[in-house]
Amino acid sequence: MSRVLVIGYGNPLRRDDGVGPAVAARVAADPRMRGAVVLAEHQLAPELAADMAGADRVILIDAADGVPAGEVGVRVLGRGPMEEPASTIGDVDAGGPPLTHHVSPASLAGLARELYGVAPALVVVSVGAASFEMGEGLTPSVDAAVPAAMEAVIAAALEVADA
Amino acid sequence: MSQTITIDPVTRIEGHSKVTIQLDDRGEVVDAHFHVTQFRGFERITQGRPVHEMPALMARICGICPVSHLIASSKAVDDIMAVEPTPTGADLRRIINLGQIVQSNALSFFHLSSPDLLFGFDADPAIRNIVGVAQRHPELARDGIGLRKWGQQIIEWLGGKRIHPTGIVPGGVAFQLTAEVRDRILAGVPEAIAATERAIAWYKHDMLRWEEEAASLGNFRSAFMGLVDREGNVDHYGGWIRMVDADGHYLADKLDPKTFNDYIGEAVEPWSYLKTTYWKPMGYPDGMYRVGPLARLNVAEKTGTPRADEELEKFRWRVGRVAGSSFHYHYARLIDTLHAIEKIEQLLRGPDILDKHTLATAGINRNEGIGVSEAPRGTLMHHYRVDDNGLVEWANLVIATGHNNAAMNRAVLQVARKYVKADRLEESMLNRVEAVIRCYDPCLSCSTHALGQMALDVQLLAPGGVLLAQIRR
Repeated sequence: MSRVLVIGYGNPLRRDDGVGPAVAARVAADPRMRGAVVLAEHQLAPELAADMAGADRVILIDAADGVPAGEVGVRVLGRGPMEEPASTIGDVDAGGPPLTHHVSPASLAGLARELYGVAPALVVVSVGAASFEMGEGLTPSVDAAVPAAMEAVIAAALEVADA
Repeated sequence: MSQTITIDPVTRIEGHSKVTIQLDDRGEVVDAHFHVTQFRGFERITQGRPVHEMPALMARICGICPVSHLIASSKAVDDIMAVEPTPTGADLRRIINLGQIVQSNALSFFHLSSPDLLFGFDADPAIRNIVGVAQRHPELARDGIGLRKWGQQIIEWLGGKRIHPTGIVPGGVAFQLTAEVRDRILAGVPEAIAATERAIAWYKHDMLRWEEEAASLGNFRSAFMGLVDREGNVDHYGGWIRMVDADGHYLADKLDPKTFNDYIGEAVEPWSYLKTTYWKPMGYPDGMYRVGPLARLNVAEKTGTPRADEELEKFRWRVGRVAGSSFHYHYARLIDTLHAIEKIEQLLRGPDILDKHTLATAGINRNEGIGVSEAPRGTLMHHYRVDDNGLVEWANLVIATGHNNAAMNRAVLQVARKYVKADRLEESMLNRVEAVIRCYDPCLSCSTHALGQMALDVQLLAPGGVLLAQIRR
């Protein structure tokens, strides 16, 4: 497998916000994902656009608020080279520059497109969170969802490999 | 009757903060607050931990400046071990700390602030964002990403990991630098300097456009604090605390950072979880001061590196020996970055940088320790107490954003007084409130980053909490 980039992101000291890095760690250890680049990040930052530029498909893994705890969702933001990514999740920072240092998934895709002339297919795998309190470790329902999230990521990655 | 305007970024703003603006009966602004509703819980989760684990744990607090916490924490544990890192170990810590300064400053300037500067503060938000910068000014966006990546690579190559590095440990660093890694970092220096100097040249050329903002965005008299070396030049890692007043006169010099509790007080306000620090001799709230890139330039004689000193001279010629406007944080941040790059090169070319003695070892020799360093946003202080077995009993973190808390509130109030019009929420006001906060680049990157949450919620409330108007971003 080549040209698949997986980025699991979140804060592991904020309970279920750490589900992205936790799933990424499992994905990286899976033999089916040999050849993929898997990153665990605290949050999305602009320089990841350069990493995205070398991939055919980018799979982001993040915790989600406002959905049932442990529910795994898969959404496709962009489908092909130079296609405008849909901004249904984590919109481009269209309200002007944010106060935060975080970049939205769609902004990251926009940066890759504008600066490097590529727009890899962008898939977001989300896991509903139960708690964002200070502390380590996932809550039981989110922890139980990690295998399903991992399979969702691998399925999205293998779609490229099979193509 | 009084009214309150609330600017409420519900999430993804690190630390969940919001701004409220208090109006009086006549619709005039009487008060303003920058609220931070989450941060302090991290001190609680340290209790009972072996103190040797603290640096690695503290690095995980923040995705933006993990190295800053790693450095201050390691220095606090050095103090508990009563140990002095070896000279090479200290220099390697300096290099990784400066790599952090470069990448974080780049994020602040190129990603967060350049959209306002390039397109104007009232430009259409659909364009005034990082993707808009990439579309219209791709060379600037690439320079920002290039500096970020170079700084991140230094952290990764030296620290072992890019995001939560582990190479810095109590007593020094847990690795020996190889010539290959040294040369790899050095190879990136010319481009890093060129990218920063391009940004400085553009900034200087365009800065007249922002005269109104420079005059009104956080432009007030205050003290400034930062670390300086034995010559009085900028020191991001060690040295002594210097405090100067708004005219540049020393309020104090050569203060031992380890005794900061003697001269820095912490006030707790009901409207924020973020403690507000103050200069004790002047009391609270009069003892307000600022830290960060602007403060570093204001307190120091020079930066101590040639290119940055040349730019510092021009900076002072244009904005004064002690720059009072918070708007000049942007300009100062670029010079701070240039100095950091030059300093990294100087340290890497040091004769002992490849020395194998990088770590001093010791056990628990004190029950209390303090570590202080300069983080991208200003002076960072870690203070721990441990039992005889080295288990943490108590910890206190004084972060740069806390030092700047009083000044940020003053700045928001100043902007609100100029731009808030009676009972309306105007875009120009909102844009400038955000812009003045961005000058300080508050980093509370310790919150959640979940999908599906709103970015900004602005509310105008009548007494009793009745919602009069609302803007969501």
